Amino acid sequence: MTQPATQRILQSFARGPRRPLRILGASGQLGYGIPTPAFEVGLAREPDLIGCDMGSIDPGPYYLGSGNLATAPGQTRRDLRKVMAGALRLRVPLVIGTAGSAGAKPHLDKTLALVRQIGREEGWHFRLGVLAGDVDPHIVREAVRAGTVTGIDGMPELTEDEVLASTHLVGQMGMDAFRRAFEAGVDIVIAGRACDTAIFSTLPAMLGFPLGLAVHMAKIIECASLCCLPGGRDTILATLGDESFELESMAPQRLATPLSVAAHSLYEQADPYSIVEPEGRADLREARYEAVDERRTRVSGARWVAAPERSVKLEGARIVGERAVLLAGAADPRFIAQHREILPAVAKVVRGLVCEEALEDYSLRWRVYGIDGVTDAQPGAPSPAEVFLLIECIAPTPARAEEVVRTFKQYLLHFGYAGRLSTGGNIAFPFTPPELTMGTAYRFNVYHIMHTPRFDELFPLTVEEL
Amino acid sequence: MSLAQLAQVIRSKNAGPRTTTLDVIFANEADFQRVRTSSALAPPNVARLYDVLAQDVRVIEVPDCRAIKITFPRKLTAGDPGDRDVYGAQQHARLFEVQV
Repeated sequence: MTQPATQRILQSFARGPRRPLRILGASGQLGYGIPTPAFEVGLAREPDLIGCDMGSIDPGPYYLGSGNLATAPGQTRRDLRKVMAGALRLRVPLVIGTAGSAGAKPHLDKTLALVRQIGREEGWHFRLGVLAGDVDPHIVREAVRAGTVTGIDGMPELTEDEVLASTHLVGQMGMDAFRRAFEAGVDIVIAGRACDTAIFSTLPAMLGFPLGLAVHMAKIIECASLCCLPGGRDTILATLGDESFELESMAPQRLATPLSVAAHSLYEQADPYSIVEPEGRADLREARYEAVDERRTRVSGARWVAAPERSVKLEGARIVGERAVLLAGAADPRFIAQHREILPAVAKVVRGLVCEEALEDYSLRWRVYGIDGVTDAQPGAPSPAEVFLLIECIAPTPARAEEVVRTFKQYLLHFGYAGRLSTGGNIAFPFTPPELTMGTAYRFNVYHIMHTPRFDELFPLTVEEL
Repeated sequence: MSLAQLAQVIRSKNAGPRTTTLDVIFANEADFQRVRTSSALAPPNVARLYDVLAQDVRVIEVPDCRAIKITFPRKLTAGDPGDRDVYGAQQHARLFEVQV
């Protein structure tokens, strides 16, 4: 039996001379396609670790709530096969975080099923470390009772009922969890919900590289070559030393410039000078960015500030109902001018009809694209020639939601408003049926920081031999 | 002059599901200084444009990147019923016509 990849790299550092660590950020979103040429260039550079982030909270509550993947199975399989082949060929660890888009059990299980299937098809043998991202609701309820759970960015105080209402409840695991997997001796680590940084920063931390640098590096390369000019999905290589790290895209046209790398710290971050982790934070106020050459930038200066106590960021989503929508357009200037009166008037008619024998157990809302479908209406904006109407109902059952939007369609089509000239119909359908049943709707009900004395019970590791 | 004429990048995105963050990045130091020293992106002005409270608007200057970052709470958590922009990537456009 050959030595597992994590043991191999840890021992080579323990026995050999101190040297820089080469880490490949293969993909910022595994499952949306990894460009092969840049990935192959990256492999030729003999990295010590290949990391991929596979998910995020950004795509909204549906994926976490439902347990479904945001990425298509075919592309996901292709990406997994590519990074597994590369890592197993070089015998270096492959680390994948936030498996299956949201990192709860169903996402992890679906990702693992693909990994096992690919391994079987290719006849590969490897040790697989699996870190579960779900957080036991009992632990969270205890913390709620103890008053050690805090809403993030004004999220309402968490209650035990909300904890129980979540269809899935995950926590962002950090370097502690990945360290356990590395120490167990594995070739591939697949983690449920995880800090995107910990995928890349755990090995440097274990090898004694400065934590501030390691976390800063991790935060940049988890997005692959997005920090470059022009930004892109191609694989990136980071070379980490004890004083600084260097960044180089594996796609020749993407330049990692001091400005492009520095500007990446702004991206999707409220505070560009701080990267907050379960174990502390990287302070970037003293960070420096210098050109090595046209394509490479050297970064130094990030400082690590340890937290007094470790914490976990929790994410949960709950069902709000079943969603159906109506898609329609309008090009009549009188209709468009009066839509703010017409739509509520139709809603009232609909309520009268669908609530004859039932309670008003649904919510109905619309977005009028061309006016205020995306943002609040701009004062003084000219009236558009056409508008698109997205009418949405959320109800207890799919049948009820559909009943509401179908009734709405018919009464909107023929609603008589003041000054109407067009008695043939008020709206245009791109096709019929213009109603769609969308499935279950979710919302985030947990987005909180938890302190718990049971921290070490979180994110259990299992190892399987394949 | 409008911000769209002065800036190289004007973008928006979520910073977590409860926060909108806007980045305005300039191609040169003169343009950055011109906007930075004006009150064009001061919290009361941003608050008016986005119908949020001025006290909830944070403006951070990032001289290394010649950038001004503006952050404020979303009215709805990303993906809640009624949300119109789950990623928050289309909330930037009303900065274009801000006069400096």
